[in-house]
Parts: sequence; C-alpha cells; structure tokens
Amino acid sequence: MHYVFHFNVVWDHWRELAEGAWLTIRLSVLAMVIGLALATVCAYAKASGPRAVRLGVATYVEVIRNTPFLVQIFIVFFSLPALGISMDANEAALAAMVVNFGAYGTEILRAGIEAVSHGQIDAARALGLTRLQTFRHAVLFPALKIVFPALASQFILLMLASSVVSAISAVELTAVTNSLQSTTFRPFEFYFVAAGLYLFMALGFRAILGGVYWIVFVRGDRA
Amino acid sequence: MSAHLKHLVIAMLTALSTMLAIQPANAENTLEKILSAKKIRVAIDVANPPFGILDKSGQPDGSDVAVARQLAKDLGAEIEFVQVPSTGRIPALLAGRADVTIASISVTTDRAKAVMYCNPNGALSITIFAPQSVKIKTPADLVGKRVGITRATLEEATVPKMAPEGTKIVWFDDLASTVQALLSGQVDAAAMTAFAEKTVADANPAKQLENKLLVTTAFYGPIVRPGDFELRQWINTWLFVNAQNGTLATIYKKYTGVDLPPLPTF
Repeated sequence: MHYVFHFNVVWDHWRELAEGAWLTIRLSVLAMVIGLALATVCAYAKASGPRAVRLGVATYVEVIRNTPFLVQIFIVFFSLPALGISMDANEAALAAMVVNFGAYGTEILRAGIEAVSHGQIDAARALGLTRLQTFRHAVLFPALKIVFPALASQFILLMLASSVVSAISAVELTAVTNSLQSTTFRPFEFYFVAAGLYLFMALGFRAILGGVYWIVFVRGDRA
Repeated sequence: MSAHLKHLVIAMLTALSTMLAIQPANAENTLEKILSAKKIRVAIDVANPPFGILDKSGQPDGSDVAVARQLAKDLGAEIEFVQVPSTGRIPALLAGRADVTIASISVTTDRAKAVMYCNPNGALSITIFAPQSVKIKTPADLVGKRVGITRATLEEATVPKMAPEGTKIVWFDDLASTVQALLSGQVDAAAMTAFAEKTVADANPAKQLENKLLVTTAFYGPIVRPGDFELRQWINTWLFVNAQNGTLATIYKKYTGVDLPPLPTF
C-alpha cells in the first residue's frame, strides 16, 4: 500500500487549527487556575475541617478519580440539563475539567501537606499565627513547593485529556482536526499535525511551569 | 509567515512522512488477497440506525451489515467487521484496516477524490427534525437556532450550505451524541437521515419530535481504496446480480420499512 502525504492541505487550514489550539490552551489554563483554587480549599477542608466535611471531600475525590473523564463530561453536558442546569459546550467542558483537576489536585496537595513537618506547624502556632495564617504560610506554601512537579504533570495530563471534550461539540484542537480530516479526507496529515501541536503545547507549558517554579519557590525563597 | 518558511515546513513534514510511509506491498491486488485468504475486512458503523446497529446480543446488524454478510458469503470469504465511528469510515479504509467500507456513505464528488465508489446499494434522505414546540417552517427559521449535526456525514456536507447565516451549527463526533444533545435540549434541532429520525422519534414519544425540513436525498454505496479496480468491479457485479434477484430490495425493506427506489449506476 502506498500513500502520498499532502501537507499543503494542512497549511491551507492553519488558521482553524490555531483557533482550536487557542481554545485548548484557554480551557486548560482556566481549568488549572480554578481547579487549583478548588483543590486548595478541599485540601484545607480535608486536613482540618469537621468530620462531615472531610467525608464529603473524600467522597468527591474518590468518585472523580475512579470514573472516566469522558463519562464525567457526558454527565455535565447531557445529564445536568435534565436537572435544570444547562451549560453550552465550552462551559460544560470547563466545568468538567475544573472538577476533574480539583479532585486530582486535592489528592496531590494532601500528599504535600502530610509531608510538611509537624514542628513547623507547631512553630507557626507558637508564633501566634491564626489557623488560616498557619495553613497559608507554614503548610500550603511549603506543600506546594514539594508537590509542584506532580501538579505540573497533572496539568499536562489535563491539557491532553481535554481532547475528549470534542465529544460534546466544544471546538478545541481535536474537534477542529476531526472536522478538517472529515471534509478534506486527509486524516494522516491532520492527525500528525495535531499530535505535533499537542507535543509543542505540552513542552511549552512544562517550560512555563518550570519558570513559575523558579520565580516563586527558588528566587522567592532567597528573597 | 513567509513563503520560504512555509515551503521549509512543508518540505520537512514531507520528508518526515516519507520516512514513516508504509512501503508498497507485493503486486497481489486486494481482491486476490481476499480470495486467497478467504477473509474480507469490512468497515461498518454500528451507531447509524437502521443501516448499522448492534442487536440485543451485541452483534452487528442493520441493512449495511446484512448486505456485507451476503456479499462475503457470495465471495466465499469469512467476514471480519471493523467497527468505526462515522468519522472513521474513510480513514479506516485508507489506513488499510479494512478492504471495503459498507456504511451508507452517500455518493459525493468530494469523497470521490479520496476513495472509489462502487455502485449505490441504497438511498437516504437527510432532514432536520425538532420537538413540535420549535418553530421551523422554512430554512430562514433556522437563524439563531442551535442545529446539531454529526461529523463526516452527508448532513455535515449539506446542512452548513443550506442553513442561512446566523444558524448556530453544532458538531458532534457520532450520531448518538447528536441525538443525546437533541433529547437533552442542548440543541434546538438536529439533522440526520429520515430513518434515524424515525427510530429516535419512536423511542421518545414524549418529546413530540417531528420532521421539519428536507435537506437532501442521496444514494449511498460501498467504497474501496483508490486503485482497487478489481475489487470494485467484483462488488459492482455483485450489486448488479443482487439488484436483479431482489436481494438488495428485500434487505432494504426489512430494515427501513420502505421500498428501495430504483438504483442508478455509474
């Protein structure tokens, strides 16, 4: 079997691909920021909340971490409208990504919080810091530094997993690629290029997150 | 970006793909391979009632599947079904995962640039349908409405052309998602084959779904890879014989409930 590759066809559609990649980036970054905030609240609640709240957070984390992302997206988009909660495809995609990242983030932060030495927390309390101040300065910040690489990896996984939101008609990179390959009949060219763009974005985000780590935790510590 | 850079990028990608390209196999053509291996791989889409479905025991069924089984039987070959979503019907064939795709692929001149059509084995209509409460009488009424369509289908090729500017077209990867979007109210209307609409409407009487607009009527047929003339010729011969002896009409009537219209050939 012989196949002649025609990459010129891909070039004709670079604008659509760029728009798709841009939505992928926006969804991923928003989901990371909001999801990290959610994870911080949940991790705090899990570490020092009342029993009922701890149980609630644990249930959320286990349910999300043990069900497929695609099914979670379908529930948000196709099932919630029956309960009167209707979101368009992009909102539903973002909501599902936030909830998903929040659960994994909670578990990663919990590991970081457990790694912070008790002496440090006692010292903060002895210095007269409130519970919230102690959590912020003596627990969360050092914990974030410990688990930052794990969070960064989880973020890359989230960005790559966002490809499945094309299933609910969000027009991100994979959706654009699917449409283009089905109208141009050039599946190999478009999927190769899409894979290349995902690789490029993943490496780019790794570099940016590495920079964030250096600025916040390395240079910040020295100051 | 400059023309130089564009050419450089294309040249690099082409060089890369040449390294990755699958080498030409031996001279035996696809028909000879099927006959000597006594096995034919048929790509089908089982999420497209009534042409391709899964029966209660999870086995492929539907008019396309019945045609494929009879074709394989007359070929004296064992059949291996390659189940693909609508978007995979042409890629599966081009990637060599299947010898032929029999999945109600409507004949369009665009698709014929990528694959070779055999003669048609059936006909279908694409219509837009919606709940009774949604007012759509003419194409102009689509303005401002969310209309769900499925990628890599005839509706994708026709609905965006007939819908006036201002129509919000929403793309899904498979028919099941398009149907689900309509039933959950995520789209106001959806376009699909009249047969699929009937299946959906009959299964959800409470939604009061009704036919609103006819988009197009088309013939569909099996497709083979470019250059597989011997296989195409055998399939065309099989289609001729089974159009004459009534097999195609019987299968079509059994699954769609309507008579098979006269099939043109090319």
